[in-house]
Amino acid sequence: MAQACSKRRKWRGFRPPSLLAFQRAKAQKRWFVGKLRDIEGVPLAERYELAACLQCGRCTGGCPVGLRSPLNSRRLLYEALIREDGEVLVEREEVWDCTACRTCADRCPRGLEPVSVIREIRTLKIEEGRIPQTVMDALESALKHGNPWGRSRRKRFAWADGLGVPTLEEGDEAPNLWFVGCTPAYDPRCQEAARALAGILRAAGYPFTTLGNEESCCGSEMLRLGELGLFEELAEANRALLDEVAPETVLTTSPHCMNALRTDYDPAVSALHFSQVLARLADEGRIPFRREVPLRVAFHDPCYLGKQNGVYEEPRAAIAAVPGVELVEFDRSRERSLCCEGGGGRMWLEGLGEGERNAQQRVRTAADMGVDAVVTACPFCLLTLEDARKTAGLEDALEIVDLAELVWRGVEDLPDPCGLETRS
Amino acid sequence: MNLAVFVKHVPDAAEADLRIGPDGRSVRAEDLPFQMNEWDRFALEEAARLKEATGGSLTAFLIGPGEHEDSLRRCLAVGADRAVRVWDESFPTLGPAAVARALAAAVGEERFDLYLCGAQAADDGYAVVGPTLAVLLGVPWAALVCRLELQDGRIVCDRELEAGWFERVELALPALVTVQTGINEPRYVSILGIRKARSKPLEVRGLADLGVDPDEIGRLGALTRLEALEPPPPGREAEMLEGSPAEVARKAVAVLREKGGVL
Repeated sequence: MAQACSKRRKWRGFRPPSLLAFQRAKAQKRWFVGKLRDIEGVPLAERYELAACLQCGRCTGGCPVGLRSPLNSRRLLYEALIREDGEVLVEREEVWDCTACRTCADRCPRGLEPVSVIREIRTLKIEEGRIPQTVMDALESALKHGNPWGRSRRKRFAWADGLGVPTLEEGDEAPNLWFVGCTPAYDPRCQEAARALAGILRAAGYPFTTLGNEESCCGSEMLRLGELGLFEELAEANRALLDEVAPETVLTTSPHCMNALRTDYDPAVSALHFSQVLARLADEGRIPFRREVPLRVAFHDPCYLGKQNGVYEEPRAAIAAVPGVELVEFDRSRERSLCCEGGGGRMWLEGLGEGERNAQQRVRTAADMGVDAVVTACPFCLLTLEDARKTAGLEDALEIVDLAELVWRGVEDLPDPCGLETRS
Repeated sequence: MNLAVFVKHVPDAAEADLRIGPDGRSVRAEDLPFQMNEWDRFALEEAARLKEATGGSLTAFLIGPGEHEDSLRRCLAVGADRAVRVWDESFPTLGPAAVARALAAAVGEERFDLYLCGAQAADDGYAVVGPTLAVLLGVPWAALVCRLELQDGRIVCDRELEAGWFERVELALPALVTVQTGINEPRYVSILGIRKARSKPLEVRGLADLGVDPDEIGRLGALTRLEALEPPPPGREAEMLEGSPAEVARKAVAVLREKGGVL
């Protein structure tokens, strides 16, 4: 176990590489994001085999923002096929409405990737430099501070103040590395879920450590916003840390971080979502539940956990393990889960369409089902559903609870395992 | 139209807990992230747009050590044809007049139609390098420009005065302007764009290459001397609200109701 972090001494001197170091690395062809290389000069239509498109429209029909937004993936694919100059495409502002949920790619009968074509169009816009100010701020913050929220890197670990959460900076070694993520680290609402998860892991005797302030944004949203170069920078910074630490397991708070580590990093990092770890700990009887949590809850499947990575059972198993909880299912659950519109960089974009947001629709449905709480397991879902609960006027009728918070409620009257204050 | 833009690489102090260095005359910047000075971003964008509209060339100048080249790479990515970085170990103590002298020396015998600076720097905020440089170059200048239009070899500028007032001035070219934020919307500069601009020339010059008497730089540097830095004293009306976010919000609403006149 201890040898997992044997290279830590070398790691402690590490700082995220400067742009110049990055450019030197490029000059020496030390590249790891191989799939993004050598794509220039090959037309979109060829790269994504758009001639195979049947124009059946299943992508547009399945698009979770399609009813409200002018975004029409079928038409974009057709335009990309017949207009190789990209001029028409780059004028399309609605590409910013895409939540990168991948429903379009999942439903395409020819196995095409409308979501990737949309990302490429975003890249064209990024390279022209004319992008929404909110996106620009997020991207520049990710480059400067290592997080898209405009917050100082030095405050990244402030969420854990006084909790005794271990960090490699303090020399706390462990075989399991918790990749906390930017939103759980900085957003006050999501910090509560991160603190709950810290409490559970400690109470379950699960040995873990974190990267503390050294962790950088995973780059998932930067990649999906089309900023390939920035994604590569962030991925390289994290990759260097992970290579030095060489943990047995990487667990993430956010399904977006997990998905990026698993599918966007090359070579892939076999990351686990915390729901998978909680399900295992619950199965092994290691979570010391002490309290009934008499709630009727519905689980909202995050797209990046379910649709994109097939993790459906573990969060449900973790919920079922909490004494007193009754789990009911949305009609639209699992593969058919309704996207909350928080992915694909939409945390920094309002969207063009008018009318009810998906998250509002979701909380209304939950209220009609008569559940006490919607449980989710993604910081973006947590925030969009919390907002929707307030704008839909359901603040008194419904709770939005992170999976970690739900589990922690069943545990928390223990003698405080990591200095967590008991929250009401 | 041949354009020159002058930029500075400065620490980003937003969100930072600033600490004064042991000499009492500097801010400890070692943990701060650096970026291009906010005002210079607008000057650069304005210069790039003028170049795109009129053709010609754009040259970017910067005084700073090698780590500050990120700002010059950004200039090259936005459209500068070449960049010049000037540095000497004696420079960190330069006052604004000496900075202007070094920049004028870097321009040397070259002549540009329009020189653009940011109105001020986010770190020291003197706002005098631009006007001093104009005097040294012997060209007319306008400060705090928030609109700029090219007209038959002249430029018409709106300068920001106080309380929503503006002054419209017309300058014969060559001229120098210091640019106010908000004059345009600076474009996003992608990492790939910065990488592509690496093939553009970036020249590094030392004090000896400038052909200027080091004593003169020293003399100008001594015109202003920073005595001491102190954190601002807490204001008498400042009240720190404490508690959970919900409690702070409730207290803030109460204060706004009572004193703000907005609710």
